[in-house]
This record gives sequence, C-alpha cells and structure tokens, in this order.
Amino acid sequence: MMSPLNITVTDTTAGPVLEITGELDYSNATRLRDLLPTLTLESGRRLVLDLAGLTFCDSSGITALIAARTHAQAAGADAALAAVPANTLRILRIVGLDQVFALYPDSEAASRV
Amino acid sequence: MCRTGQQPDPHDSGRGAWTDAAFAALLEDSAEELYDSAPCGYLSTLMDGTIAKINATLLGWLGRDRAEVVGRMRFTDLLTVGGKLYHETHYAPLLRMQGEISGIALEVKRSDGVRMPVLVSSAVKHGSTGEPVLIRTTLFDARDRRAYEEELLRGRKEAEKARKQAEEARRQAEEARRQAEADRARLQEALAVLQQSLLPADLPPIPGMSTAAHYHTASPDRLGGDFYDVFPLDGKRFAFFLGDVCGKGPQAAAVTSLTRYTLRAAALHESDPVTALTTLDTVLHERYTGTGDPRYCTAIFGTVDPDPVSGHATVRLASGGHPPALVLRADGTADYLPTPGGFLVGALPGARFATTGTVLGPGDTLLLYTDGLTEARTGTSRDSLYGDDALLAFATTHAGDAPDALVHALTDLLAGFGDGLDDDTALLALGVPAPAPTPSRT
Repeated sequence: MMSPLNITVTDTTAGPVLEITGELDYSNATRLRDLLPTLTLESGRRLVLDLAGLTFCDSSGITALIAARTHAQAAGADAALAAVPANTLRILRIVGLDQVFALYPDSEAASRV
Repeated sequence: MCRTGQQPDPHDSGRGAWTDAAFAALLEDSAEELYDSAPCGYLSTLMDGTIAKINATLLGWLGRDRAEVVGRMRFTDLLTVGGKLYHETHYAPLLRMQGEISGIALEVKRSDGVRMPVLVSSAVKHGSTGEPVLIRTTLFDARDRRAYEEELLRGRKEAEKARKQAEEARRQAEEARRQAEADRARLQEALAVLQQSLLPADLPPIPGMSTAAHYHTASPDRLGGDFYDVFPLDGKRFAFFLGDVCGKGPQAAAVTSLTRYTLRAAALHESDPVTALTTLDTVLHERYTGTGDPRYCTAIFGTVDPDPVSGHATVRLASGGHPPALVLRADGTADYLPTPGGFLVGALPGARFATTGTVLGPGDTLLLYTDGLTEARTGTSRDSLYGDDALLAFATTHAGDAPDALVHALTDLLAGFGDGLDDDTALLALGVPAPAPTPSRT
C-alpha cells in the first residue's frame, strides 16, 4: 500500500532537478530537507522539484517543499514545481503555495529558464 | 542375607574346602580384636563421664595413647567447646532420661587440634539392681557425611541466594514497571493539562448567538497542533479563530501557545482580521526564522458583530492557508466561503491573506474546522479521503441545525471514521438561533 519515498537528483544546465516519487510525509520528509545542503545551486539557477511520481504529500511534505524554496532563494536561485499531482495541487492552493512556486507541466518545461 | 556361621549351607557343599577355611579365620577373630579394630569408635565411661575403656580405632582418630585417656579424661574432654555445650544441655539430659540416645552429630577434637565430625550413640548399662553403672558410647566417622552435608548446605545456600537475587531482580523490574507507569500517567496528565491550556475551557456567551466547539485528540501521547478560541473585543463584537500548526508534539504546542496569545493580543489592539494574521505572521517569522526549524500554521481569524435589532450577525473573515469556512443556512442550503490565495502564516516572507465575509440570519450557522476532518481516510488507499464535497453534502443535510446540534453530528461523523481519523481535529460553530417556536434551536 505504502510506496516508499525515492529522490533522484539530476543536474541540468538550468540547475538540479529532484525527481521525488512515492509518499512524502511525516516519516520521511526530513530526507528531502537533509538532501538540500548537498545540492550545487548557483545564483540565477533553478531548483526543480519533479512531483510526477508523488503519490502522497502531507503537511510535513509541504514544509519540506517550503524548505527547498527557502534554500534555493538563500543561494540566489529560485525553485519550481513540475507535474504537481491533483491532490497535492489542491493542498498547495489551500495554503497559497501555488502563488509562491512557479508551476510547470513537466521538469523539461521547468528547466527551460 | 547373612550367614550364622554355625551351620554350613547345604547347597554349598561343592565349595566346602574354601568355606571351611574362611569360617576358621572368622572364629579366630576374637571379641577383643573385634572391639579394638572395629570400623567405629567404642568408648565406655563411668557415670561421671570418666573414660574407662576406649578402642584403638577411636584412639587412632584422636591421635592419642590409651594411657593419657583412660582414667584421665572424660568423654566431654574429647569434644569441641560447642560439642561440650551441646552435651551438657541436650545429650546428657536426654541420655539420663531415656537411657539411650543415637545418631547425634558432634565434633571431637584431635590431639593436633583438628576437628573431626562424628555421629554419636550412647546407652546406659544398668547393674543387677537397676542402678546405672556405665555409659557405652559408639562414634561413627562422619567426615564424608559432613562433607556431603556441607555440600548440600552450600548448594542450598547458593540456591537460596540465586532465588533471592531472582526475587530482587523481579522486584526491581516490577518497581521499574510501576515507576514507568507512574511516569507515563504523570506525563499524560501534564500533556492533558497543557493541551487544555491551548484551548478555552468554555466559550464565552455571545449575546444573540450560540456557539459550540469540539476537539478530537488523535493520540494522548502527542500534543495536538490544532487550536481555536472565542473572546470579546469590545462591548459588542467578538473575535474567534481556529487553526492548525504544522507538526505535533511539544514544539508544535509551543507554536500553538504563541499563536493563540499573539492572535488574542493582536485582535485587542486592532480587530481587523487581516491585521491580526499579519501580526501573527511577523511574530512566527521572528521567532522561527533562522532556527533551522521553520514553524507555521494555517488559520482563519474572524470577527462577529451581532445586531440585536435585526437579529443578524455580520461576520468578517481572513484566512491564512486554511480550508474554507462553511456556512449552513436556515433554508437548508450550505456553502463554502472560499478564501483562495491566503498564505500559510509564518512560512513565507510577505505573506498575503484572503478575506471574505457573510451575514448570519436566524437559523444560520458558520462552521470552522481543521483538515483532520476533510483529510480523514475513508478507504484503504492513503488518498481516498473524506474530502470537501462529502463535507458540503453532510453540511447541507444539517443546514438549519443549531451549533451544538451540528457539532454533535460532526462528532459522531468523526467517531465513524475510526482509524481513518489519524490527525487532531478542531471544530468551531457560531450561529444565530432560529426564531421560536423551534425550542431545540434556541
């Protein structure tokens, strides 16, 4: 039933792309947060979080997304979400994050700065 | 079976030559020789204990000559101090009374000072007129037996020690368990008190309105992060809020506490709902930015201004990333009061908050809730949730209910989710009572 969290990092010319699959929740959201300091982020680049394979996201997951954005901004970069699933998009809309993150249909479009 | 030695066994005729020789040897074994070399000690004393006769076996054990013992020592002189005492208090009196005594464990002292354990039996020999003449005493070597007894005793002592240790360990484990249980009870009590401090004990009465609230705690061990409050602003208006702090436990409770008192203080200063949330946003930012542990909440803050003349109550709301409020009308309809675009409070610099408002007429009720309700799982899949549509349908069937009836119905609904309800859930309803004659709604 539970699908484990898996995060794959790919570096593109535009910046790192994090492909997040499975469930991002209270039990594992720190894995995303712990990963952030290891990313190479330069000013003017973009951190893309590809959520196409994200099956579940709770408030701890939302916190980790906010942490990713804060981390990118601290490096002078920005953060974008790609392929946000409908159930997560609904939560993002409620908490206003749909206006804070740039949203793209897929990671390719998101990496085209 | 033993031979009498007098009559040859008739079945033994085939070995006649050998047995004859053996019997001859036995017959040569004189009574004196048997007495002296018997495998036990023999001793005869006068009635005052003076040793009159002693055999060689016992002299060998004692390491003494016959000359230094006979007529010179008493039986008690052969005993250890403890043995003397025992002889005095038990052995001799019993012997006098019964005429014989047997199998008493005593220790004799050898000439070199080494003690030797023996089993002692005595019998009094009486003269022809019945008066006691002398005491005959037999001593058996009990060294092996004593060693065995000591071994048994040591074994028993060790078993006893092990039993005591096991008992002590069990007692300590029991004590630790009791202590852990007491600690747990104390902790739960402390958590319950703390949880209560995050919520109003009672909602203040609002003239011309009725209110009801419910808090469902998902786990007694984890402080919840949901909160609500209702309080007077001035002589006429009241403020209320309901929200949800991200996370759980003591850290979340600290945010909840900070949030509750910040909103109360902010509202007394400036009652505009957006201003109250903006103040909270600033406070949370200052408190948690740079701590590496960002904390935020979602909240709806509102004011209500009941008009006693018209019987209507004007509601103004601001939402920071919180699920929309519901309004249930007296005419049997229900609607969300959407507040799109409101940000989480405390998460992002420059947060914006969405506003809305409504007027509650008689029989109308406003419902605020946290997402524990809408995110309750209704199926086996993690994303088969109760949802906004189901809540709206439920609200529609209860439109016209007074706040307490509505909250009661929702409490039943929450109970029905069972394990699907794994988050804390707060409910707050404010309504204008329907006009008479519907006493159940007053």
